[in-house]
Amino acid sequence: MSEFVAECRREWRRLGVPDPVANEMAADLSADLEEAEAEGGSPEDVLGNSAFDPRRFAASWAVARGVTNQPTVDDPPPWRRPVAIALTAILGVLTVGAALVLAVGFRSSSFAVASKSIRVFAPGTNRITLPGPLGPFVGPQITGAVHPVALVLLILGVLGLGLLAVVHWSPWSGYRRFDRPGDGRTRSWN
Amino acid sequence: MQGKIADGILWCMSNQEGRRSQLLRGVLDLCLLAVMGEGPAYGYEMTKRLRGRGLSIVGEGSIYPLLGRLERDGLVETRRAASNGGPPRKYYSLSPEGEKELETGVSEWKATRDAVDGALGLVKAEVTP
Repeated sequence: MSEFVAECRREWRRLGVPDPVANEMAADLSADLEEAEAEGGSPEDVLGNSAFDPRRFAASWAVARGVTNQPTVDDPPPWRRPVAIALTAILGVLTVGAALVLAVGFRSSSFAVASKSIRVFAPGTNRITLPGPLGPFVGPQITGAVHPVALVLLILGVLGLGLLAVVHWSPWSGYRRFDRPGDGRTRSWN
Repeated sequence: MQGKIADGILWCMSNQEGRRSQLLRGVLDLCLLAVMGEGPAYGYEMTKRLRGRGLSIVGEGSIYPLLGRLERDGLVETRRAASNGGPPRKYYSLSPEGEKELETGVSEWKATRDAVDGALGLVKAEVTP
């Protein structure tokens, strides 16, 4: 059984498609793919763009046949999108704001947000030094002082945005796509 | 300059592809019913029949979900039978409801095509395959 068919089976199992129906669809698909291969063709000859997106393909087939009532990978929870947008907006504002405060703070000590400033670099140096797994990270040479709250907010903002990006593109967040050359578009006739 | 021209050509090709896809979307079920009218066929066989008629539709998506919908709607009948030396396949053929649907759909398609031809027929344009 090809990896594509195996991936379809996993999706059908997840969607609660009855085993006899899943077996039948898998058998038909395998036979068609094998025939195309024997003729020198590729899975794309049989499946079109769907050859690169087995889970979406499997879900659309199951839905079209009316053998599942489960939400498909294309149906994320309704709250997910607005929450993600709100979080991204908040973190984006936080990050940009903190960066601005830091940028201005280097030049002016009278910035309203941070009335106090501290030096986070070791005495006698003018570089930020942070511990790291591969040894201390030494930042670029700077002059002046760093606003501690802004620095913490900037780090939190960047980490938060990074985490959101990782979650968004991770396998847990949605369906798995097979790599394909070209533009990556996938369409279905249904 | 050359980059802009290339971008323009790519945009046109992409747009053309998208329009073709949209046009096909509305009649692909009829095309499948039509090739089934030639005789029972399994999934990939139908793809080949359509390709033989110049319709390389699978580039834009798979026909399996559409076949599933036709089956669910009772427009096709299925039976499992041995293929030529291969494993048993699921053969699709027109049901009586499917034949009616095909007749109605073809009639609607011709009426639509004539109306669109009336609007676009005077425009001189080269036809690209």
